[in-house]
Amino acid sequence: MSGGGPAVRVSIESTCEKQVQEVSLDGMETYVPPLSMSQNLAKLAQRIDFGQGSESDEEGIEAEPKDPQDWGKTEAEEDEATVKFQPSLWPWDSVRNNLRSSLTEMCVLYDVLSVVKEKKYMALDPVSQDPSAGKTPQVFQLISKKKSLATAAQLLLKGAEKLSKSVAENQENRRQRDFNSELLRLRSQWKLRKVGDKILGDLSYRSAGSLFPHPGTFEVIKNTDIDLDKKLPEDYCPLNVQIPSDLEGSAYIKVSIQKQAPDIGDLGTVNLFRRQLKAKAGTQPWHVKLEAAQNVLLCKEIFAQLSREAVQIKSQIPHIVVKNQIISQPFPGLQLSISLCHSTGEKKNHRASPEKPKPDDHLYVLEHNLHQLMREFHKQTLSSIVMPHPASAPFGHKRQRMAGPMAYDKAEISSMQQNEGLLEKIIKQAKHIFLRSRTARTIDSLASRIEDPQIQAHWSNINDVYESSVKVLITSQGYEQICKSIQLQLNIGVEQIRVVHRDGRVISLSHQEQELQDFLLSQMSQHQIHAVQQLAKVMGWHVLSFSNHVGLGSVESIGNASAITVASSNGEYAISVRNGPESGCKVLVQFPRSQSKELPKSDVIQDAKWNHLRGPYKEVHWSRMEGRNFVYKMELLMASLTPCL
Amino acid sequence: MGVTCVCQLPLAEGKSVQQTIDILHKKLEQLGAVKQGSFTVDCETYHATGNASGQPTKLLYVMHNSETPLSCLALFEGGPCLTADGNFDVLMIKLKSHFQNAKGHKVESRGSRYRYCDFLIKVGAVTMSSSARGISVEVEYCPCVVPGDCWNLMKEFMQSFLGPSIPELPSVFSSKPEGLYAPVDCVDTMTQYLELFGRVRKQQVLPGTTR
Repeated sequence: MSGGGPAVRVSIESTCEKQVQEVSLDGMETYVPPLSMSQNLAKLAQRIDFGQGSESDEEGIEAEPKDPQDWGKTEAEEDEATVKFQPSLWPWDSVRNNLRSSLTEMCVLYDVLSVVKEKKYMALDPVSQDPSAGKTPQVFQLISKKKSLATAAQLLLKGAEKLSKSVAENQENRRQRDFNSELLRLRSQWKLRKVGDKILGDLSYRSAGSLFPHPGTFEVIKNTDIDLDKKLPEDYCPLNVQIPSDLEGSAYIKVSIQKQAPDIGDLGTVNLFRRQLKAKAGTQPWHVKLEAAQNVLLCKEIFAQLSREAVQIKSQIPHIVVKNQIISQPFPGLQLSISLCHSTGEKKNHRASPEKPKPDDHLYVLEHNLHQLMREFHKQTLSSIVMPHPASAPFGHKRQRMAGPMAYDKAEISSMQQNEGLLEKIIKQAKHIFLRSRTARTIDSLASRIEDPQIQAHWSNINDVYESSVKVLITSQGYEQICKSIQLQLNIGVEQIRVVHRDGRVISLSHQEQELQDFLLSQMSQHQIHAVQQLAKVMGWHVLSFSNHVGLGSVESIGNASAITVASSNGEYAISVRNGPESGCKVLVQFPRSQSKELPKSDVIQDAKWNHLRGPYKEVHWSRMEGRNFVYKMELLMASLTPCL
Repeated sequence: MGVTCVCQLPLAEGKSVQQTIDILHKKLEQLGAVKQGSFTVDCETYHATGNASGQPTKLLYVMHNSETPLSCLALFEGGPCLTADGNFDVLMIKLKSHFQNAKGHKVESRGSRYRYCDFLIKVGAVTMSSSARGISVEVEYCPCVVPGDCWNLMKEFMQSFLGPSIPELPSVFSSKPEGLYAPVDCVDTMTQYLELFGRVRKQQVLPGTTR
């Protein structure tokens, strides 16, 4: 356009395709919403005249009623014209044609099938082949077949080759991956580090606080001595660990108490009886190996610590350290031996020691305690590195930090510090265990031997490593509610037993088992007399005299004899009982003077009233009395002497 | 920690410090006491700097006692007192600008420690800059912590080996607000030592005992 006149603005606006339905008062036009596709289709379909088909002569009857006046001839012409132009008039035509043709096909198929099946009107007959037509020479056929087979085979072989190559690659990959996954698993449980091209690990307790100088390094190696062609063994592991040679095999610490060996020269190497460690199914062999090696290391550390203390610490009876044993004497006549049993397990121990180790010889509790104490020691060394609060305070236990500001004197400071070593602790524990078992044995043997006062022991469930307690009750069968005055609480310590009696006495017994036995026997004899006292209360008899320790009669070697005298309610009879631990019991009954015949007539006593008093004593044959125990017999005696009203 | 009484023993006629101490040791051994090592009590003086002129400089005394080996005691004369950890000495070095150490004023008492049943007797020679100035005797009755209950017993015991020169009740006990029946502390012991050291410091150098 050439320049010149002012430009005219031309606005182009598309025609409004939508019809306006209404115009609101504010000028907004509301359009009729346009028809959607389906609505449009429906509108068109409504216009279809199904009555008017392409073969209009078939459906001429349903033809739309047309006004004959308007369309007279033109209708016929139009019909003809429409016959020709039928396909282009409406879209459903092709669909209808297809349906019609498929219907035809179905009918034909149905006819053929009915012919084949029923054979009523028609039958199928094969067409005879012309034998001369299409005859090819056999050799040619063979060659062609061979060629085709060969091509097919080649294809298959190629495919198979590819498959086998991929399988082999997969296996190789898996083996590679197995090593890495195994390494990952190993790494999740053990400490590893890479040094050069070697992978080393640490199985010592150094990071847990141990001060043992053994390095405890193991090496991880790839297991390559496997034949790829052979089948993989069940327990094949692509990873192998190499542990230091002195940690091979398995070890344990054996703690046992025996009677003292007569001669020191008899001590030999303790039998290295190997305990088979059954690995859990599913654990890797390297795990089992490493755990065993770690256990060996811990046992070595424990034994080294114990032997160091055995040599350094001065005690009254020195400890002997011989080969792999530490021997000490907790009590006279007894020997405690702690030994490190390490067996490498590669060669069978043909030269086994002559005596088989007794299964109950080994105190497993003490072995476990040793392990625990060692681990506690590790924890202590570790926890001392824990930062103190406030940051300026010195390292050490929390209470020790208060020693300065609270002005603790030397006694308090020394009581805060632990001075005992591992060996002393374990000896104390062994002493306590031994004392406890001996006490139990004593009480049980007494209980089984003596039936008359019954002895019951109630052991407390809650114990300390250094202290246990047992409550001993001495009762008579059938009279437990009446005669319960002898109740003893025994506190078994490390070296002595403290007995607290029900009446408040506290007695310390040494470790000798004879002392405890004698004490219990004397308490049993006292119990009988106490029982008579209680029985008298129940029966209505009066207690005339009672003594726990009589000074008359024969001297007992164990304890003292006790005696009691009771009188019947009407005063006529009296029973005197004397019971001693060794001398047994003696029962005498005092009769009234009127009943005794051997009293001489006397000039002094002339009044008849004196005959009502009690006179001489007569002894009772106690063993011939009826009754199953002492208190029962006593009850019968009392009952027989009480007159019926 | 029991009730303690610290007193100064006058020298015997014509004898030196060491000889008097030996005589006392012999008396104690005759009594049946058992020697149980040695003891040390020392006292250092610090001047508080930065004070307004006209006011006397406050003196801070830092004392150590071998009975409480991990503690340090810091006190002002007649004033507040602090029981602290052993690191307090290091702290004083750091506070050099505020507290100056008067090095010539260090006093200490060293000697042996005797134990007689429930009593602890410590006889020491008080020295100031390595010259013996006097003798300190400390008697402690371990089971009791209330001075009012055991003062008579202690007096009787001291009479048995100290002879006529027994002290009267230390002023620390009677000057407490609760009186004689308040439990004692290590502070009371050290206050008594401080008083004794102060007396010794003021005293003239003993004739014939300089070394």
